[in-house]
Amino acid sequence: MLSKNLFRFSGSLLPGLLIAGGFLLLASVLLYQLAAQPDTLSLSLGPRFLKILFWSTVQAGCSTLLSVLLGIVLAWALSHRRRFRGRRLYVAFLSSALVLPTLVVVLGIVTILGRSGWINDTLRWLGHSGFEPFIFGFSGIVIAHVYFNGSYVARTLLSRLESIPAEQHKLTRSIGLNAWQRFKMIELPSIASTLPSVSITIFLLCFTSFSIVLILGGSPKFNTLEVSIFEAIKLDFNLGRALGLALAQLAICAVLIMLGSRFSKGNQLISVPSGKQAAWHDSKMLVAIQNLILFIFAVLFMLPILAIITDGMAADFISLFTNKNFLTALLTSLIIAALSTVLVILASTLLASAFTTLATQQRLGSSRLSQPLLKLLGFSSTLYLAVPSLVLGLGFFLLARRIGGEQNLWAVAALLTSNALMVLPFAVAALAPAMVKSANRYDKLAFSLGLTKWSRWRLIESHLVRPELAYIASLAFCMSLGDLGVIALFGNQDFITLPWLLYQKMGSYRTDEAAGIALVMLAITLAVFLLLPGLFGNTKHKSHWRQHA
Amino acid sequence: MFGKISPQTAKQHFKSAGYRLALLITGALTAGSVNAADKTLTIYTYDSFAADWGPAPGIEKAFEETCDCDVQFVAADSSIGALRKVQIEGAQTQADIVLGLDTNIAEAARETGLFVEHNADTSNLSLPTGEWTDSTFLPFDYSYFAFVYNKENVEKPPTSFTALAAMPDDFKIVIQDPRSSTPGLGLLLWIQQAYGDEANEVWQQLAPKIVTVTKGWSDAYGLFLKDEADMVLSYTTSPAYHDIAEGDQRFAAAPFEEGHYMQIEVAAIVGSSENKALAEDFMQFMLSDTVQDIIPTTNWVYPATTTAQGLPEGFEKLHVPENSLLLDGIEVEKNRNAWIDQWVETLGQ
Repeated sequence: MLSKNLFRFSGSLLPGLLIAGGFLLLASVLLYQLAAQPDTLSLSLGPRFLKILFWSTVQAGCSTLLSVLLGIVLAWALSHRRRFRGRRLYVAFLSSALVLPTLVVVLGIVTILGRSGWINDTLRWLGHSGFEPFIFGFSGIVIAHVYFNGSYVARTLLSRLESIPAEQHKLTRSIGLNAWQRFKMIELPSIASTLPSVSITIFLLCFTSFSIVLILGGSPKFNTLEVSIFEAIKLDFNLGRALGLALAQLAICAVLIMLGSRFSKGNQLISVPSGKQAAWHDSKMLVAIQNLILFIFAVLFMLPILAIITDGMAADFISLFTNKNFLTALLTSLIIAALSTVLVILASTLLASAFTTLATQQRLGSSRLSQPLLKLLGFSSTLYLAVPSLVLGLGFFLLARRIGGEQNLWAVAALLTSNALMVLPFAVAALAPAMVKSANRYDKLAFSLGLTKWSRWRLIESHLVRPELAYIASLAFCMSLGDLGVIALFGNQDFITLPWLLYQKMGSYRTDEAAGIALVMLAITLAVFLLLPGLFGNTKHKSHWRQHA
Repeated sequence: MFGKISPQTAKQHFKSAGYRLALLITGALTAGSVNAADKTLTIYTYDSFAADWGPAPGIEKAFEETCDCDVQFVAADSSIGALRKVQIEGAQTQADIVLGLDTNIAEAARETGLFVEHNADTSNLSLPTGEWTDSTFLPFDYSYFAFVYNKENVEKPPTSFTALAAMPDDFKIVIQDPRSSTPGLGLLLWIQQAYGDEANEVWQQLAPKIVTVTKGWSDAYGLFLKDEADMVLSYTTSPAYHDIAEGDQRFAAAPFEEGHYMQIEVAAIVGSSENKALAEDFMQFMLSDTVQDIIPTTNWVYPATTTAQGLPEGFEKLHVPENSLLLDGIEVEKNRNAWIDQWVETLGQ
């Protein structure tokens, strides 16, 4: 029976397993490159290393704590204010924090909070002497991390809070609980299961943060291991130290991920479709507080974006768009982003399809093999958390040195791999639930009609999961377009992407050109992320998209 | 939209994706192989040397008239960055020559084993340090590190590192990173040679004055010209640029009582070069009067030889340190990592 079933579902299972296995194999090959060079490996567990570890932990801890706290406050306010003009756009912007190019936002934050930023200028105009620059260093890093991750937490928790059944709302009202009691008894439990895994994910992202720390670090004191790896290669060309740091980071991340998986059941990035929603009946005072919270967060969120737009408008676009370097970077970035998108769509569809086959009872859900295989799929799709961009890049770099061949091809391969791995955790998390839903709904019918794989996909899934696919495509395109990671290792005069060009302009304080490039990147990202899913999602499934956006 | 895609259009989609990939791959391939076809001499250097207003365009034009080749200067973001670039690229590097290192980093560069002998005739060199014996690294200019300031903004410039440390709190300087930039490394060695065991205390006193540490010289000088700092680490010869090229006499280098650390800039041939004969011709060309006369008014430092034409008018106004410092390259290399680690530690506090 089992073998018959296995054979029957092999079409939807094997490609996904192959992809998962392929990623693990690739990771092992790269890790082997790292580990198999004992003659050069040098890791001194001296005070400098311990200091890096200490400050990275403190930094990631503060960033996570603040992100989660602010995320809860915002999600709470937003879940209580169900109807206001522009709410959809508000939530859409919140989701876009995931794809906004890091460097662009950092540039915006510096424009606001820098030594001669908007706030200091305003203070001086008011007769105050202004404050000392604080943006370069610990506080700057934490502010930037909270900007991105706080929005992400709010977005994730919002869908949890919105899935609280209407009956519970009614109950709380009938027994007359106050706002704090309601939060403690109803809302907190509904997000409690998500908090540990979200916190650990954010901690890992901040602990292995690269571009934010590279730009805002200010001094080597607050370097993360990722930035130290970068410096060991680019500044000192000390491959031994880079290797040591990479292996140390790998070990730490692996331990954290294992600890994290003990707290969470399955992939908690997956949001549950919201059920029937009922409005909270809050007092006028509470409504005012919620509105104030929403207003403050909107201002904080929009300020850096406004700064980029204002500064960018003043840039000389004629000289920018006739600049050969800029055009090359733009074209390269668009091509890389497009290729990454195709790769992510393929990989996540196959992974999600295998996930569905293993997770649903009518298929192989009851098989003994399903649990270990599901673990494999889960691990493979979140590989990026353990192997972040610089470690991955170093692996490719060593592989390229050993094998030889055209450098820029290696750069493309490294970039595409890192982009795909970066987006996969979010892509699989968005696609898998939709595929499971469609399987539960249509499997019986499809089996009885004897539909082939391809015609089934064409008739059923391609319609049902279209909004998810559009969302994933926009996610993959935008995240790939804006990422500064692997390219920092592989970029050269012949191979430039927009984030790399922007980094160079920021590094050499060419602020006018940087502002222009930043605005172009922001415009592409927002256009693709806010418009593309809307164009693809038909009216019938708009509710789906709304849930993700 | 998605549902209505016919197999034909789907095929076209895949085709165009494949086409793009092919384009990209061929683009990437040709970018690397153009050089082999029509004899190109590729020289890695730092950004300000390769800039439109730097020495590179003039040298390139002059050498191309004699060599029947294409000279390409590739700008790294800093001088040591150019060396690291060759190391990172390894056997794949297109570089024939690395130009713009100095005697302080030359030993580190020699230890990489990437460079070969220049075979140039060095008899016309006239450096203040006397005879040149290094057969791998060839000097082409020199100057002295100094802090440059604007006389209108700074009435009483500091006259020593201790005086600099004692300046008011809002007096800021911008310097370069010793890990990426030869001026940055030069400052580290300057303080090291002048203060020895007390160097670290000097750095501790200087730390609050440093507004930022840049990767290369041009970033730092750009910030200084934008008034983001009162003084910038540059050369005693830098004011000549403002005086001669801009007719602007407001800029000056602050003479320091400790003396001034000297920088001798060098070039070397990369061992993996397929154009070694051409590269050797170029190295000799660097010491010709043609190039040596281009250097002072484009790189704004002293030439390494005495040319028939002599120094341009205006250079005689510059401050020449009575006491010039220079550590032995081998001693520098023995201690460089430890000193830099200490520096990172001190500035990180």
